[in-house]
Amino acid sequence: MDVMAIEIVVPAVSGAVQGCVYGLLGLGLVLLYKSGRIFNFAQAEMGAFAAFMTAFADAGSGILPDMPVWAAVFFGMITGILLGLLVERVVVRPLFSAPKVTVVVATAGVFLFLYAIEGFLSGPGPRSATRIIDGDLYTNGGLRITNLGGIIVLVLGVLAVLSALFFSRTRMGTAIIAVSQEPTATRLVGISVERTAAFTWAVAGLLGAIAGILLSGTNGVIAPGLLTGLALVPAFTAAVFGGITALPGAFVGGVVIGIIEALAASNIPKDIMPGSGKVILFGALLAVLLIRPAGLLGKET
Amino acid sequence: MSAEVYAPPEEAAASPAKPHRAPRSYGPIRWLPRILFLLPFVYWVLWRIPNDEAGAPILADACIYAIVGLSLNILIGYTGQLSLGHNGFFGIGAFAAAYSLTVRDVPFAATFVIAGLCGALFALFMGFIALRITGLYLALITLVFGLTLEESLFEVEWLTNSGAGQPADRPEWLFDDRNFFYFCLSFLLLAVYIDWRLLRSKTGRALLALKENERVAEAFGINVTAFKLLAFVLSGTLAGVAGALLAYRIGIVTASGLGFNLALTFVLMTVVGGLGSRLGVILGASLFASLTFLLDETWVGVVQTFLVKVLSFGNHTAEINIEGSIVGFIGALGLLLTIVLNPGGIAQQIRPITRWLSGKPFSLHDDKDTGPGSVEGSSVRA
Amino acid sequence: MSVLEVRDLSIRFGGLQALEGLNLDVNEFEIVGLIGPNGAGKTTAFNCITGFYKPNGGTVTYRGRDVTKTPPHVKAAMGFGRTFQNVGMVKSATALENLRTAQHAKAGYDVFSGLIGTGASVRAEKKLTDKADAILDLLDLTAIRDKRVGGQSYGTLKLLELGCALATDPDVLLLDEPTSGMGPDESDELGERLLLLRKEFGLTILVIEHHVPLVLRVCDHVYVLNFGRLLAEGEPSFIQTHPEVVAAYLGGEDPEALAATHETAEDAELDAQLEARVHGVTATPAPEEPVAEDEPLDDDTTELPVAPKAKRAAPRTRGKTAAEQREAKAATPRPRRTKKDAT
Repeated sequence: MDVMAIEIVVPAVSGAVQGCVYGLLGLGLVLLYKSGRIFNFAQAEMGAFAAFMTAFADAGSGILPDMPVWAAVFFGMITGILLGLLVERVVVRPLFSAPKVTVVVATAGVFLFLYAIEGFLSGPGPRSATRIIDGDLYTNGGLRITNLGGIIVLVLGVLAVLSALFFSRTRMGTAIIAVSQEPTATRLVGISVERTAAFTWAVAGLLGAIAGILLSGTNGVIAPGLLTGLALVPAFTAAVFGGITALPGAFVGGVVIGIIEALAASNIPKDIMPGSGKVILFGALLAVLLIRPAGLLGKET
Repeated sequence: MSAEVYAPPEEAAASPAKPHRAPRSYGPIRWLPRILFLLPFVYWVLWRIPNDEAGAPILADACIYAIVGLSLNILIGYTGQLSLGHNGFFGIGAFAAAYSLTVRDVPFAATFVIAGLCGALFALFMGFIALRITGLYLALITLVFGLTLEESLFEVEWLTNSGAGQPADRPEWLFDDRNFFYFCLSFLLLAVYIDWRLLRSKTGRALLALKENERVAEAFGINVTAFKLLAFVLSGTLAGVAGALLAYRIGIVTASGLGFNLALTFVLMTVVGGLGSRLGVILGASLFASLTFLLDETWVGVVQTFLVKVLSFGNHTAEINIEGSIVGFIGALGLLLTIVLNPGGIAQQIRPITRWLSGKPFSLHDDKDTGPGSVEGSSVRA
Repeated sequence: MSVLEVRDLSIRFGGLQALEGLNLDVNEFEIVGLIGPNGAGKTTAFNCITGFYKPNGGTVTYRGRDVTKTPPHVKAAMGFGRTFQNVGMVKSATALENLRTAQHAKAGYDVFSGLIGTGASVRAEKKLTDKADAILDLLDLTAIRDKRVGGQSYGTLKLLELGCALATDPDVLLLDEPTSGMGPDESDELGERLLLLRKEFGLTILVIEHHVPLVLRVCDHVYVLNFGRLLAEGEPSFIQTHPEVVAAYLGGEDPEALAATHETAEDAELDAQLEARVHGVTATPAPEEPVAEDEPLDDDTTELPVAPKAKRAAPRTRGKTAAEQREAKAATPRPRRTKKDAT
């Protein structure tokens, strides 16, 4: 492979895989925005919490028995769902009629809360995360796609399609959209606003858990706040990029953002501009919001 | 057409009755119990704690946080613009002060001006963004702004002394922590004065009006664009100056303490204190600044024992940093409880006392004019 | 001299032509009414005139200056006072605060002396409070001086909003449905107030209003909008019997047919009364009371036929005098200036 390819292709591919995780987190964000006009700043940390639980179960710490990897992952996902339900019940539902900005501050509070709990459970330093699968799917020179990377792409693709189908084909999906647009009228026709909200948060918790487990796996270690710092902003950018209400948009946006970030980080030396990936993301997000707020795949309203 | 035409005749000026007077006035005497009530607090805060070696730095922190709280309150409480990137303005101020003092040999006093200007500049930039992007998206972009600054500008080599941290040494007369507290307190008093003037002048009214309804504000002749930017600049200046104070308080500025969590903590303490209420915000900020101090080791020990011994989570008993977590824990819990159950924050809780202190008879119930609807931005007349 | 001159004003929202070629003149000390069915573009016209919307075409001239593109807050400072259809005030603040906020442009000190707290700014603040109190007194709203605006009744809010518009020290006052939420008595009172205010402050007023007795009593000139176009203009009495106007209010029916059914006894009486008001003669065998200024106008039937029900209930007897009057009127061609400008 020539130099050009190594400088461009390698980071682009690894960025695309990383971007899929952003997309996965972004999917949860889009879901919550679509259903309740909420930005969930705790989404990444909810995923991280599930990843922590997976790691605890995997290593068998505390009161948890030592589980096999698949059981630990399953346990983590269940934790994610329960966490989503809990957040909805305790934080979001009482704020049903509050301004949306208040709800957003509350989700930031959820982030801090989870951050603190994780600190209690694990200490401030990093601990090793559960890696579902080892080995490489494909290697060629500098280019390397791990099996885990392959799974991430696969999972994101399947989930994006499934969730898009869910909204267009199922009764529950339609109900969620209806609730988001006309809560009162929806209630009048007999749809339970509470139940749809709980369902949405459960799904968002599950999506977050999957993203958290996968991302911490590629990352190797996990620490309080790590996933939020690593992935929350790119996930939001991905969601906004793809059009905050378009589910496949999160997928596309995630991949685009992952590639942009990886290219910037690998090609702009740190001593010229540290954190170049983040700066580019900030610029991209700003540009999208200013120029095309509906995102790439979103509809202009 | 002009004011003279309907300048009020004498009786008109006198007639706007002040209905809520205390039924019986005891004259100056009625202030006596109030002063007696306040005296112990004044004694503790101004004399007792500052003379305590551990207490003085915490009080200084409280002042610094309170200035940030007031700064944030101008944006969130008065103008209705959510900023989750205040760590950015704060950090810029800290770095600017440290850098200009240590590297550029700028006089001590001038570093505060520079810090304020830098904070104002970045806030102005954010203000221009806020003209176009509003609501949730503004919250998002401010958050990303803070994170980006943390990872980019706060890592630049010449600013951060190659990552080792930029030193900021206090002048000799401020070495003493007690003196430094009084120094910070004077800044806080200045900030309070500006905040008070803000609400008492047309500027504050303009901000409150545009927060509620921009079209109405425009119809009243308020230049919404200019006043939004002004709010950002004012807020950024205060945050920048507070950052400079923090730089001198710690003595060395690194990016590590200026992250996302700090931004959230700022919002959190402001909301817990009570948006729109000056006293509430100051109390909320002080509470957060002193949380580590208030929760002494027995508390921490209980939690630790529970987690480690009972649930036996975590295999590294020794290095659990529970103090750091417990601040976040209590803070987050406080925020969630405030938002969900008690949106007026501390300010609402202590309203019976503050009302009594302002000279009205003591009563646990709100008077009609400042009812529950007054929770947000209530202190037009504070 | 025209205080406000609107020429050829057009604005479209997407596919909807909200205003098309609107011409409008407001002369010094005039009270001009702007009426029309819902969705006719009245409030849109207000928003264009006050600068909240940027029109796609046409000009707005204020005392000889082109102010088409002037932003609303500058216009407010120039002397455009306005009210909103759904009460435009700071609801969380008290009445007094609102009145002080409204004086923003004429506060008499700059932002920084306000922040520093110079003596001049404190004195200026005192003046603002005095003026606010004077306005409260003028509108009999002293009782709610320190009350939160949010909890007040709609009628009170509308009145206070008028006070806020006054507090901006206006030259031209644009009122969007000032009587909505008021009972008939309050509305009449408001009419008196407007006349009084005009006299006292030398105001020029443009008012959107549905309450027809008010329009008839206070307006010097009326413009009728329908589907974004000027349908008719003229004196209130002329507008009231204008067939196209009636048709517009009833919606889509043949104007001729409507003109025929229009000639009921009540209408005839009314016509005569109006004639009397204008020319100073009583032409009809009037009802018992002499043609007074207010009472008979309060009658339901004097409303423009907004509600078709009222129309149908009316007996269809044809008044002779009315017919005569009509013939007389028909002899002189009516000045139907629907599209051409009025100058």
